[in-house]
Amino acid sequence: MNQFSFESKQKSVLIGGMILGLICLAATWWVGDDGHHTRFWSNFLHNSVFFTGIAFLALFINTAFTTALAGWHVVFKRVFEAYSLFLIPGLVLMLVIIAGIWGHFHHLYHWADPQALLPNEEGYIDEILTGKSGFLNKYWYTFGTLIIVGMWIFFALRLRRFSVEEDKSGTTDYAHYKKTRLWSAIFLPLAGFSSAAIVWQWVMSTDSHWYSTLFAWYTTISWFVAAFASIILLMIYLKSKGYYENVTDEHMHDLGKYLFAFSIFWTYLWFSQYMLIWYSNNGEETIYFHLRRQNYPVLFYGNLVLNFLVPFFVLMRNDTKRKFGTLALVAILTLIGHWIDFFLMLKPGIRETAMHGHGEHTFALGYSFPGVLEFGILVGFASGFLYFVFSKLSQASLVPENDPYLGESLHHHV
Amino acid sequence: MSAVVSPIREPLIIGHKDYHQITEDICAPTEKTPSLMWVIAFSISASLLAFYVFCVGWTIWVGIGSWDLNRTINWGWDITNFVWWVGIGHAGTLISAILLLFRQKWRTGVNRAAEAMTIFAVMCAGQFPLIHMGRLWLGFFIFPYPNTRGPLWVNFNSPLLWDVFAISTYFTVSLLFWYTGLVPDLATVRDRAKGLRRKLYDMASFSWNGSAKHWQRWESLSLILAGLATPLVLSVHTIVSFDFATSVIPGWHTTIFPPYFVAGAIFSGFAMVQTLMLIARKVLNLEEYITIEHIDVMNKVILLTGSIVGVAYLTELFIAWYSGYIYEQFAFYNRVMGPYWWSYLGMMSCNVISPQIFWSRKIRRSIWWTFFMSIFINIGMWFERFVIIATTLARDYLPSSWSYYSPTWVEIGLFAGTLGLFFTLFLIFTRLAPVVAIAEVKSILKGYGDQYTGENANQHH
Repeated sequence: MNQFSFESKQKSVLIGGMILGLICLAATWWVGDDGHHTRFWSNFLHNSVFFTGIAFLALFINTAFTTALAGWHVVFKRVFEAYSLFLIPGLVLMLVIIAGIWGHFHHLYHWADPQALLPNEEGYIDEILTGKSGFLNKYWYTFGTLIIVGMWIFFALRLRRFSVEEDKSGTTDYAHYKKTRLWSAIFLPLAGFSSAAIVWQWVMSTDSHWYSTLFAWYTTISWFVAAFASIILLMIYLKSKGYYENVTDEHMHDLGKYLFAFSIFWTYLWFSQYMLIWYSNNGEETIYFHLRRQNYPVLFYGNLVLNFLVPFFVLMRNDTKRKFGTLALVAILTLIGHWIDFFLMLKPGIRETAMHGHGEHTFALGYSFPGVLEFGILVGFASGFLYFVFSKLSQASLVPENDPYLGESLHHHV
Repeated sequence: MSAVVSPIREPLIIGHKDYHQITEDICAPTEKTPSLMWVIAFSISASLLAFYVFCVGWTIWVGIGSWDLNRTINWGWDITNFVWWVGIGHAGTLISAILLLFRQKWRTGVNRAAEAMTIFAVMCAGQFPLIHMGRLWLGFFIFPYPNTRGPLWVNFNSPLLWDVFAISTYFTVSLLFWYTGLVPDLATVRDRAKGLRRKLYDMASFSWNGSAKHWQRWESLSLILAGLATPLVLSVHTIVSFDFATSVIPGWHTTIFPPYFVAGAIFSGFAMVQTLMLIARKVLNLEEYITIEHIDVMNKVILLTGSIVGVAYLTELFIAWYSGYIYEQFAFYNRVMGPYWWSYLGMMSCNVISPQIFWSRKIRRSIWWTFFMSIFINIGMWFERFVIIATTLARDYLPSSWSYYSPTWVEIGLFAGTLGLFFTLFLIFTRLAPVVAIAEVKSILKGYGDQYTGENANQHH
């Protein structure tokens, strides 16, 4: 079966998931409302950022593999392509956040508050935010997002087109492949610079006074691991439906190795950032971790358990990377783990902003821990993501027939 | 078993070699009398090494006062050289461990020499903290053991002590890894030798006899060492970066330092590999094993890591502004516009801007451009450490203690002297051991030899 057919049963299940997510998202508009609908908007931002980032990383991984002349993944590279196209709905989701900034519908970013740069009751001016206002403003946020994500979409569409055309009119001089290689290489440095700018705007600026030079790379690697975890799950599902018989446990083993290695790399970055801030004990910097460690301990430590201890100890053995059940379990846990990682990056800062710095971070579902509604919203976004990916998968053959590395991929042996 | 190789892969061994020819070609340099070029190079290196010994003696006899360090700038060329050499010592183990995990077949052509280079570079690096102690004979104070020096005990909270552990571990594992890889090849040399030479190589190869049992043990030991070496490649320069980043000095204390130092280390390591390989492949007639394709691929690694370093430089600059922290902002203003502006310019142009010419395939495959660039990057990466260390220290919190630093002849002599140590060791290595891993190159012949892939492949294979 080289052609994916998007069955009506799958469609109805995924539409059901999306409706569930929509209901849960709507419910957070009212449940525990603080006057700014912070729970609703922070959930919307959290999931939009998470899934758009996964799509970006799928594009990044595909171009990095192409540039590194990797051959093993070619048989299922259509999955990466389908993922990367989710950048289009991702941009639409972020436009909703942007509309919210312009219309003051939400209070996610302290810097977006028109009062933030004015003197307060005692006449003090927030000098730090004033200094940052050249970057932290709605114009940069809007046009930065439009230009950068727009540029990513341009590359995603272009590379997809070369790949699909190669199926129909691929020749032995591999003209399509050569174009793919050129455009992949051009994308990589652009992605390297632009992803940092996006992370600063979308994620780091929710703690609008705080800064860390490593933060952009840390966040990007979190997306990276999430992308691999979700691709592992999708491949196992597609195989169970009878697709991709030529993707063997050799390929899954390698995907498992990526999940293992980059979980460790994520931990390395986590440690580097945390240790250096802890060690130098500088108030402007420690506040970020202090807030999270004191008030969000379950998430703070749970983050390390799910994203380091689980993949490290389970995937260390050779055989666990080849057993689909174990691999799927670890992939589910790390996928949720990195979703929680983003939850922890975003929610405490947003909550602090919503409370105008005058409130206790007491236990509250939706902030201290994802509530049932948050998990429902995750199901909704994941269903929407999958619906999109499945419809893109069904629009081209599953195996890129004329790729010059297909032979290596089909005979891949670890 | 012949591997399925994509028709568009470039061959990694050219000249239609067979197994015997590979043995002949690679063993040859160890079996002939040294060429005139080798003798000249060795004489220069050994003279520099002798000058190094003299400068070390001078430093110890006269004291650290013979350097231009002062109370403001208490780290200068010494630590710059230390970090530079440790950085260079990253490529070898990256090639042999991490690229092994990524199944990059081209590593077989260069891993042996790169690992040897790694070991020699770490040896050079290790000199500087020792000399910098001033009282070299008290060097054993760095070891934590129960002693009679009262409360004098190592400071486990200090990243300088972590450095001792990190670098000695890295050195040990790299050395074991390198030697393990050498064992079958030393046996190959032994099998061709006679008399005393045969006896010595037999000892060096632990009487390797090539039995299945030997290969099996060798394979499993190599795998374990690769597993141990992989995190070490990251940890060493991470801990070196902690020397700076754990402080509260603006310009040093920044969280991006660990991964950015590692990327910079790989960058400079590959530059040094290129410098050495371009000469070695010519002088030792190994152009068919270290091909233009190898050079091209390593230039791509240089382009990649150079660009990563570039992203990090710009991130630092941006966040310094973004932080709103005036001392951090000044530190970076001072780097770019201060009295050491020339070293920042040197760093940026050598490390970020000029490697961008490697976007051109033609330049990546040009030996002269590659050689020129590799020297350029070696200089640039030295400047990077100088920028971080001297520029930052020269302008501290107290303007009254601001100062300017330029090295004395002793400091320059020590740096030049470690180059002598490095090249002396490398030149000896080329005479004693096969510079290319014979057994590993043979393992990829069927698949990546030019009779199997590329334009000149025989179609019936």
